[in-house]
Amino acid sequence: MVATPSVLIVDPSEETREVLKTALERRGVRTLSAGHIRPALRMMKEHNPDLVVLDAEASGDAPDAACSLLSREKPPPLPRIVVLGSFRRPPPSGEGCDFVAKPYHYGPLIRRIEELLTAVGCGPRSA
Amino acid sequence: MASLFVIRGNDQGVRFELNGPVLGVGRDSSNAIQLHDNEVSRQHAELRLVDNAYTIRDLNSSNGTFVNGRRVQQHRLQSGDQVQVGSTLMLFTGPLQEEENLSDKVDISSPLQQGDESHIVHSMPQREGSRLFDLQAEVPEGSWLAKARSNLQVMYRTALAVSHTLDIDQLLQRIMDLIFEWVEADRGCIMLIDPETKKLVPKVRRTRKGVRADEKISISKTILDYVLERNEGVLTTNAREDTRWNPAASILQLGIREAICVPMQGRYDVVGVIYIDTSTTPQEVLRKGGASKFTEDHLKLMIAIAHQAALAVEDTRYYSAMVQAERLAAIGQTIATVSHHIKNILQGIRGGSYLIEMGLAEHDESLVRKGWAIVEKNQSKISNLVMDMLTFSKEREPDLVPADMNRVVADVVELMQARAAECQVTLQYTQAPDMPVLVFDPEGIHRAVLNVVTNAIDAAAEASAPGVVRVATEYAPGECKVRVIVEDNGPGIPPEQMDTLFSPFVSTKKSRGTGLGLPVSQKILHEHGGKIWVQSAVGQGARFVLELPAVLGQTEAHSLAPDRTA
Repeated sequence: MVATPSVLIVDPSEETREVLKTALERRGVRTLSAGHIRPALRMMKEHNPDLVVLDAEASGDAPDAACSLLSREKPPPLPRIVVLGSFRRPPPSGEGCDFVAKPYHYGPLIRRIEELLTAVGCGPRSA
Repeated sequence: MASLFVIRGNDQGVRFELNGPVLGVGRDSSNAIQLHDNEVSRQHAELRLVDNAYTIRDLNSSNGTFVNGRRVQQHRLQSGDQVQVGSTLMLFTGPLQEEENLSDKVDISSPLQQGDESHIVHSMPQREGSRLFDLQAEVPEGSWLAKARSNLQVMYRTALAVSHTLDIDQLLQRIMDLIFEWVEADRGCIMLIDPETKKLVPKVRRTRKGVRADEKISISKTILDYVLERNEGVLTTNAREDTRWNPAASILQLGIREAICVPMQGRYDVVGVIYIDTSTTPQEVLRKGGASKFTEDHLKLMIAIAHQAALAVEDTRYYSAMVQAERLAAIGQTIATVSHHIKNILQGIRGGSYLIEMGLAEHDESLVRKGWAIVEKNQSKISNLVMDMLTFSKEREPDLVPADMNRVVADVVELMQARAAECQVTLQYTQAPDMPVLVFDPEGIHRAVLNVVTNAIDAAAEASAPGVVRVATEYAPGECKVRVIVEDNGPGIPPEQMDTLFSPFVSTKKSRGTGLGLPVSQKILHEHGGKIWVQSAVGQGARFVLELPAVLGQTEAHSLAPDRTA
């Protein structure tokens, strides 16, 4: 039996959290959400999600610094992290972090999340 | 902290803070001071901190490094130095020096203190200072003392003339007027070197009364070249006999009898020339026994005046460049903040649209409604942003009409109830029972109160206890004031944020705030002759008071009239 994939959404915008939550849950993904990095860290430790979607503004840091912060705070295994942020050119993905420049389109973002979940062996069911 | 501020070039307005022992200057992104200038080498120069001072060293760049207009290989920088690399001109400000604390060594004693029995024996208004150089009757005319005094007076007046304006044309006009008061010139002009074309451009022209004003002033190019190339002032009483001159055709043709042409040498460079001339007829020469109108003393003083004028021109240009650079920096910051906010709104609209699309595909009306609610909310956000920007950007007179303050505030509270509920904040409203009809701009005050209430709800949403916002109106007839008070039990405002609370585009709400709400509210209150202030302590919420003069509507004024006379 394949376990239900889980995604933690960390974004100060309630609307963004709501849109991602709705779209992912319809694809059979369990979601958790937080508006700030502090409760997100706690949730990450407690629930060990498969993937984290993190808006860099939620931590008040630069996108790569936000990614490092999560990686540092969380004991292994580390989830894959998708960082949403404002940058002219997204930094190259690596070390468990993907970068998506804002403003982004939800369709491609959701597809990227699905691919990453599949890559870690817990792909969602088709919507 | 030491800094380099770009006052000319593609990066105009950018301030580079110098916060390392060795900092690279160049086009390459590896440089701490990266300049977007094709005339700058990839690794152009480096700044090195030694003994709390920066030294700039050229790294064999193609186009060289210049400090104050001079090419340098290495130069210890001082505050005010202008550093040019490629076509980028930067102003250096040095690190703060530790200043000696003189407060223990200088004492301002009170009248009651012992030991200070000084009393005023003479006082003099500031304007009297200029009479210091007035010629006294006992000083013989033509004596060295009279000349020295006269020269000092001219320099004093020049210093005054150049210190009272930031308009270069006006400044040069004053200088020329002063020269004509002091020397018997027929014609004169001041030409400045255009910073872009490097050519002399006439800025001021003047002729003595009695000399034809429409007569063209033709200045010998030979003289101008000599003055500019050698950076020397020249006096020519008779050009044909002057051994320094080639009997150049231009001088012979122009027939200059006496002329003075001096360079305007500033701190960094020659910025232009001042030229005066006079013609003396043979009859006059004979009558005066051959005496020249222009002397070496005139030349010396003209050089000194030109130097003063050049310093003022440089200062004015520097000031204008600074203002322009600061303005560009402010525009850049404004655009960045507004763009960021619009980007967030766009993200919201995309989210809403995505849900609508999903709902339509899945024939799920609830999803369409959810998406549409997000789109509508963001429409309202962009509408508010535009309204705030319009209110903030233009000077306007409030549209004063008799209106009900209680009603205006009630409308705001009603409008914000949904948002308060969404944030799980209780929004309460207490109306002043005795509020008369007042004259104010209801639309403006609605916006001012709306911005403050919106902030209060956002703040209360972050409260550790259940969030509460209390709104109240207050009428104080004794003070002729009306107040709207908005209190929240949010986390409060840290003291360090108090100073910038009403500064435009400074938001403590990160992506949620435009940084325009409070400045707009303040502007609207100011337009009404009122004010807005805040009381807050960290952990104890905030209390905003919007106060404006209570101007009674005509009906109210009439109904109150008998009471006043009673």
